[in-house]
Amino acid sequence: MTRRRALDRLFTAAATLSALTAIGVLLGVLGLVVARGFGAISWRFLTEQIRSVGAEGGIFYQAVGTAILVATAAAVALPIAAGTGIGLVVYVPAGRLRRTLEALLHALNGVPSIVFGLVGLAFFFQALGLKKSWLSGGLLLGLMIVPTVAVAFLEKLRAIPAATVEAAVGLGLSRSRLVTSVLLPQASSGLVTGTLLGLSRAAGETAPIMFTAAIFAGATVPHGIVDSPVLALPYHIFVLAQDSFDPRVAEKVWGTAIVLLGIVLALSLGALPLRLKIHEEARRA
Amino acid sequence: MTRRLDVVRLWSLAFTLLAGGAVLAMAVYLGVASWPVLRGEGLSFLTGNDWAFRKERFGAAAMLYGTAVVSGIALLLAAPVGIGTALFASEVCPPRLRLAVKLLVELLAGIPSVVYGLLGVVFLRTVMSDLFERLRWDAPSGDTLLTAGVLLAVMVLPTVATLSDDALQSVPSSVRDAARGLGLTRAEAVHGVVLPAAAPGLLSALLLALGRALGETIAVFLVVGRAENRLPDSLFSLAPLVDAGQTLTSKLGGAEPTIALGDPLHTAAILGLGLLLLAVVLALSLGAGALRARLALAQAHRP
Repeated sequence: MTRRRALDRLFTAAATLSALTAIGVLLGVLGLVVARGFGAISWRFLTEQIRSVGAEGGIFYQAVGTAILVATAAAVALPIAAGTGIGLVVYVPAGRLRRTLEALLHALNGVPSIVFGLVGLAFFFQALGLKKSWLSGGLLLGLMIVPTVAVAFLEKLRAIPAATVEAAVGLGLSRSRLVTSVLLPQASSGLVTGTLLGLSRAAGETAPIMFTAAIFAGATVPHGIVDSPVLALPYHIFVLAQDSFDPRVAEKVWGTAIVLLGIVLALSLGALPLRLKIHEEARRA
Repeated sequence: MTRRLDVVRLWSLAFTLLAGGAVLAMAVYLGVASWPVLRGEGLSFLTGNDWAFRKERFGAAAMLYGTAVVSGIALLLAAPVGIGTALFASEVCPPRLRLAVKLLVELLAGIPSVVYGLLGVVFLRTVMSDLFERLRWDAPSGDTLLTAGVLLAVMVLPTVATLSDDALQSVPSSVRDAARGLGLTRAEAVHGVVLPAAAPGLLSALLLALGRALGETIAVFLVVGRAENRLPDSLFSLAPLVDAGQTLTSKLGGAEPTIALGDPLHTAAILGLGLLLLAVVLALSLGAGALRARLALAQAHRP
């Protein structure tokens, strides 16, 4: 009896220790970044241009570039993901085809971000001759987050009570009216959650944009499409992390990391209440 | 009644096909674009240990080795802690605390890889080289395969934890209640009933985490040392772990893809590495999907 109880205690202790480790890592990461970069954060840091290879000035155009990329990604991902969700629930008949398409959607979610970067380099940069362009970056990031948005939308679509759908069909609604008047409004929160979550991932990605859209310095707001790169927060950190030993640069890099973390965590926090609720609801069902 | 063009239907089907076909399109594109090198090198694209683009020799063995070692270390470290965290959230902690744990793990999952990379460059690298010195291991610097593996372990930890938690939660609570009702302790119920029932889901979680580890680029690039063509005499030798190495992704994350644009054969070789990465990750992702489907099927058949 005592041995069984001791084993039970051991199990509880080991599981608790694991969870504390995970949470400790999170707090450690956040703590280190904030402690190192807090001194760099100021109004001028956020509103000035970069000077002296990152040693002076601020990260205004890096933030602008990231905003442009993220907005483009949203504009690309939303219609595709909405169509995919509706398509998989309403129009593609249940069976092998639907299962295959859904498996491919999950597979797209697993594609490493560097593969998007490579395909972008070969296709957009070279074959289409776009050079580095904000549009390529936005398209790649948008395609990358389609599964995130579509899966969140699908979860909400499938949670719509059958009675609601039956009532709508009973009233004589056509399938397209069913989609626009019932399914989309009822499940739109899934699109919002998924988009926030996807954008939180898109904002922090470096690999898809480093060959296709981002440069380190010398860009402001793009005026065209061909050869119109932007600056971006993650790429800025990536470049300075590689070869900078100037302590003034170091503080600014950590400051940039605070800003990036702030954007990314704010976006995913915005999606969190809905997301946790979906999980807990799925559990009860 | 005239049949009008159904815009909603057209739009949905077109985008469903686009989203589903995107992966296949990328795989085919990479396959066609890298064909000259795949045909020229044949199997030695995988087994040859000399990557020298100026001599037009493309053997990726050392990178495959680096990728396997780095993600192996990552999974070895992240699996126990991640599954432990999931067990805590799902089986041990009170329901109120559960949401807090899930929330913190979700936040951890959201930290961009470039931030981990920065932490790796500034902190982990120094920590590791101090450690090597104290243990009197012969390591030239803190940029090693082991360093990259440790950093990667932290990065895939939330993936393991979240997906494992989903797997544990998919075991009905009636099963736990029955086990506890028979007088089993919590540990015995978990070991005897919950874990076996959740096993396919846990395995699927590890496969997806492995896929994430294989494909992670930015953080690995910054701490792995990027030493070319290093392959140990024995696959079981531990010495290369505390030495610099190269992975598929650290190669692709550097300047070489851009350099390669001038030379079609070199471009083909680089895209071939991308195809290799994509193929492995797709296989893992499909395997994980099949396991999850088996789990769902097992539950559907339960009375």
